[in-house]
This record gives sequence, structure tokens and C-alpha cells, in this order.
Amino acid sequence: MKETPKERRLATPETILALLLLLLLAGLSVASPEFRRPSNYLGMTRFFIEVGLIALPMTLVIITGGMDLSVGSIVALAAVTLGIAWRDWHLSIWLATALGVLVGAVAGLVNGALIVGFRIPPLIVTLATMAAYRGLAIGISRGDSIGGFPNEFRALGRGFYYLPHGIEVPGQLIYLIVFALLFRLFLARTGTGRQVYAIGLNETGAQYAGVPVGRVKLLIYSLSGAMAGLAGAVLASRMSTATSDLGLLFELDAITACVLGGVSIYGGRGSILGSMLGLCIVGSLKRGLFFLGVEARDQSILIGIVLILAVFVHQVVVPAVRNWRLRLSHSKEGSP
Amino acid sequence: MNRRSLALLALCLPILLLLVGCPKTEPPTPSTAGPLPSTSAATPSSPDAGETIEIAMIPKLVGIDFFNACERGAKEAAEELPGVELVFDGPTEASVEGQVEMIENYTDRGVDVIAVACNDPNAVADSLKRAVDKGITVITWDSDADAAASGRAFFVNQVRARDLAETLVDEMARQAGEDANIVIVSSTPTATNQNTWIKHMREYMAEVYPGMKEAADVLYPGEDQAAATMATQDVLKANPSINGVFGLSSNACPGAAQAVVDAGRHTEVSVVGLGTPKAMRAWVDRGEIGSTVLWDAVQLGYLTVHVAQAVARGELGPDAESFAAGRLGEVAVEGDVVVLGKPVVFTKENIADYDF
Repeated sequence: MKETPKERRLATPETILALLLLLLLAGLSVASPEFRRPSNYLGMTRFFIEVGLIALPMTLVIITGGMDLSVGSIVALAAVTLGIAWRDWHLSIWLATALGVLVGAVAGLVNGALIVGFRIPPLIVTLATMAAYRGLAIGISRGDSIGGFPNEFRALGRGFYYLPHGIEVPGQLIYLIVFALLFRLFLARTGTGRQVYAIGLNETGAQYAGVPVGRVKLLIYSLSGAMAGLAGAVLASRMSTATSDLGLLFELDAITACVLGGVSIYGGRGSILGSMLGLCIVGSLKRGLFFLGVEARDQSILIGIVLILAVFVHQVVVPAVRNWRLRLSHSKEGSP
Repeated sequence: MNRRSLALLALCLPILLLLVGCPKTEPPTPSTAGPLPSTSAATPSSPDAGETIEIAMIPKLVGIDFFNACERGAKEAAEELPGVELVFDGPTEASVEGQVEMIENYTDRGVDVIAVACNDPNAVADSLKRAVDKGITVITWDSDADAAASGRAFFVNQVRARDLAETLVDEMARQAGEDANIVIVSSTPTATNQNTWIKHMREYMAEVYPGMKEAADVLYPGEDQAAATMATQDVLKANPSINGVFGLSSNACPGAAQAVVDAGRHTEVSVVGLGTPKAMRAWVDRGEIGSTVLWDAVQLGYLTVHVAQAVARGELGPDAESFAAGRLGEVAVEGDVVVLGKPVVFTKENIADYDF
């Protein structure tokens, strides 16, 4: 007997994560009166939208068995480029923003070219470019911080929509949702999306089966750079400053969201929905712990513990549940 | 999905973004534009003398001696003042994002006062403005924010930049001679304090010690002691004529001292800078380093809490000229700046008295 689609959906890590998130939100809402204020739930997302924008392509990168450590530095590089282009080259703010995103895409393309062209492991390439791009950002800005952006740009990361009862919805939440849908469609519904999984499962096999491995990798690393560039623009707007130390440790936050969301670090497995759930879990946990009076340093410890627990769930619990269901369905098949 | 629908999607994306993005630029959207028809924020009321005042004090980062000492002083003030509740919490790294998130978190939680040592004057300004708009009293300490853009009430300044620059340069002249060849080891290139001090040091050197000159460009190892050590080692090797090193942060100073002492050159090269007494004590006790210059971090924290509660209770206003701050007595108020006092020079004689 085959599992019905409904049954299969129940066993996915995404369902478990969604339940976990709901449980977490419920728990924190009971524990903290500030957390259960209606404006909190959507309002708090503004703290992790930028990381979310990076986690989307990071999901693809990790599914291919790769890694992109340079995204945090690309955030800084794009933000600084944007700032310099606007202030010193007198470009319009939106042209400057486009230039920032373009610089991000090029930085990502360079990563991809080094990985594909010289067959250097992604971890090493992006470790090197992580330092190089950060250095470049410091060099271009000469360590200066650029602020005083026009109001229409500040709306990019500091604007809110207002629902009834004064509930604030950060404008950038819409971008994340739109991009998440696009990435989900790309990964789940297109041929290239399937090729991403194929590369992660067995790269050599995929190559022999005619998958243009090099081209796919170039595409996803460029995407990663471009999205980091966009995150840089949103962040520069939200922070009202473009400096070379923006985006520090964003790569780790994005990887945390992916791994928590069930993207296998060995490649071949993972989903956009999972990563986004992982992102929301870490984000809500941070905010909730803050409201409960847990200091920043202790929050990091707790988030570390949650991450290890998550890996345990994905590596041990989910396969166990799957096996158990499989055995159940087999035994049903056996006895008439 | 085939190629055609993908292309369609790619076409739709910019249109969708435009649709979604457009209303945002209309007047009523950004929170930075001013007061909005929001009903959620409770109307602010300045607390009376009897009410408890909750102060959120946010350092640049937590876990370093300097800010630990500030925390101690702040807690001492909170204990001796009636009706003051203090939380002292900061980002684990001196990051702009961490600090902004913290300021906005405390704003959403609704404390009475936010007192912040700013990592970036531009970045925190908008977040502080948001807090001010929601009726929270905002002051800065240690490092100021853009005063006009942030709407902060007061800046608690540890020391006037000019006083500090003069003390540092005088110390260098005393130890390395009036015509020393010096190099400055700073923090990050954006650090507001360091850049102001460097400007004043240069002015004062030109004015009083024209023979003293910079033998190399300013070094920016960031807030990283090991990097400061390496940078100092390199610059000493490249320029053997250097006989004075300024370490302008609590990491740069011990970093530079380490480099000089390790190379065995402390008899010819003097290190003058802003090291915490605890970090510098071993070298100062052994006479390898002459002194270290700083202010009293405990008193800075203490003063900040006094100012915070006085502003929140309406006892300290914009026209004040001095302010009675508990055990510190009367401190000077210059416009919207409260000044702790003159810098302290820690030498062999008094360094053991300070525990930070």
C-alpha cells in the first residue's frame, strides 16, 4: 500500500517545525505579556528579514552540498557601494540601490566562477572571499559611515503598513514573502530546481545524466550574492547607515535558519518552507527570550542548544518516524 | 513549470514589487516621518517622584572590563536612588545591528529611560527617535548619537575630548620627550571618539610640541587586542625611529604595550594610551609602561543613572548649568552635555585602587 499524499505530508520535517513554531509562539505568549501584544507578532519580523533574504538562496547553495560564507561581507560591500554611489557619485538613491545589488551579484558570480572553474571547495572559496569582500568594503568606505538617506529610501527598511488597531506590519516583510514564494516555485517546480537537488544527491551522477552542473552552480552563487546585496540595501535603510561592519555574522544566522529548517548540510535535502520556519523559530525565540529578561549572551547559548536539538531531530527523530511509518504500512500490506 | 511560465513570473516580479512597493513611499508610511495615526502606543506621561523608573542602559558591548565597571557604578547608583529599576544589557559584539535591535526591543517593551553608548551615531539615531516618539526619555553616554536626529535629551560625557587629548600628549612628552616620533593605534576608522581625540591631539601637538611628529599613518586594528599587537609589531619594525605609541582604545593600549614589551623595547619606546587599569597593571607595576590614562568607568556608570532618573523625573532640564550627582557632588552641564570630569592618569602609585 502506498502512503496517501496526506499521510506523507504529515511526516515531513516542515510539519514538525510548524508545530514547534506554534508551540513556541504559544508558550512565549503565555509567558510574556509584551510578547502577546498583537503588534509584536508581525512587528518583530523586521529584525530578521535581511537574514531571511539571505537564507533563501543559502537553502539552494546548501542543497547542492555547498556553502556560502561570504554573504555577510557582501551585505557590507553592497551597502557601502550604495552609500558611496549615492553620496559621492550623486546617483539617485534607487540607481545606487540597483548598483549595490549588482555588485552583490557580481561578488556571488566570482564565488561561483572560482568554485566551478578551479574546483576549489565552496567552503574555502567563500571563506577567502568573506575576508576579501569585507576588506574591500572597508577600503571603499575608508571606514566611514554614511547616513542621512532620503526618506523614500528609509521607507525600504523602516516603513510600516498599518492594520486596524495600530498593528504595525514592516514593509520589508512583503519582500521576503514574495521572494520566498518565488524561490519555492523555482526549487519545487522548475527543471533547474530539480537539478539543484540532483547535484546535492550525487554530483558526478548528475553530471553524467546531463545536468549542467557548472551553470547551475554559477546561477545559485550569483543569486546568493544578489540577494545578499538586496539584504544590504534593506539593512542600510533599517539601520539608517551604510558602514563596512554591517552584516557581521549574517552568514551564520542564515545557515542556522537553514539547518534548523531541515536543510541537510550534506546536500540533497531541504526546502524553502523549512528554512523560513527555521528563521521564524530563531527570531521568535530571540525576541521572546529578550522579553523574558534573558540577557544577550545567554540568548546565544540557548540558540546554540536549540540548533543542536534541531539537528538531532532532523538526523534521528524524523528518520525514525519515517521508518516507523514505513514499517507500519509494510505490516499492513503483509496481513490481509 | 516550464520555461514560458518562468519567464512570465520573471516579468511579474518587478510589477508585483512595484505594486507592493509604491504605497510605501506615500507620506503616511515611514515611521521616521513623524507622529502617525497609531493607536497602540500609550500616551507618555513623565513619572512623578514617587513612581518607579525603569532604566535600560545599553553599552557598546557586554563582557569587557570597561563596561563591566560601568555596570557596577550604574548598579550602585540604582541602589542608592529610590524607585529606580535598572537593566544593563548590550550586544555581545560591538555591532550596529545588535544595538539597534536592543534599542527597539526596549522601546517595544516600554521602559522609562533608554541610555545608550552608541556604536554608530547615524544608525542609532532613527531608533532613538522612534523611542522618543513613543514617549521614552533617551540619553546617551560614552559615545554620543547625532543629537538633532535622535532627539536625545542629554549626553553624559566621560571627559572633554580636548582635556583628554592634552593629557595624552603631555604624558607622551613627559615619557618620550617633546620631539618624539609617534604612531597612533586607534580602533575602527569609524569610531567617533577616537577620531575626535586624534584631531585634538594633532592640534595640541602642533601648538605646544612642534617637534613631536607622526612617523606613520594611524593604525586601525579594530576593537581587537591581538590585531593591535600585530599592527604595532609591524609598524615598529618598519619604522625603527618610532619611540612613542598611542593606544587609543582599551584594546589598542594593552595590544601596543604587549608588542613593545615582547620585543624588549620598552626602555626606548613609550606606550601612552587608554588602557583599563586592570589590563595595564602588570606592566605599570613592573615599570615597563609608565602610566595609563582613562576616566573612572565606575563613576561614568554611576553618573549616567543619576542623569537618567533626573531627566525622567523632570529634575534636570535643558537650561541647567550644573547637576548634583550623589557622591560625585556638582558636575558641570554644558548645554545638553553632562561632563564627568578630567581624565585620570593611573600610575604605579594609584593603579591598584581601580578594579576595571
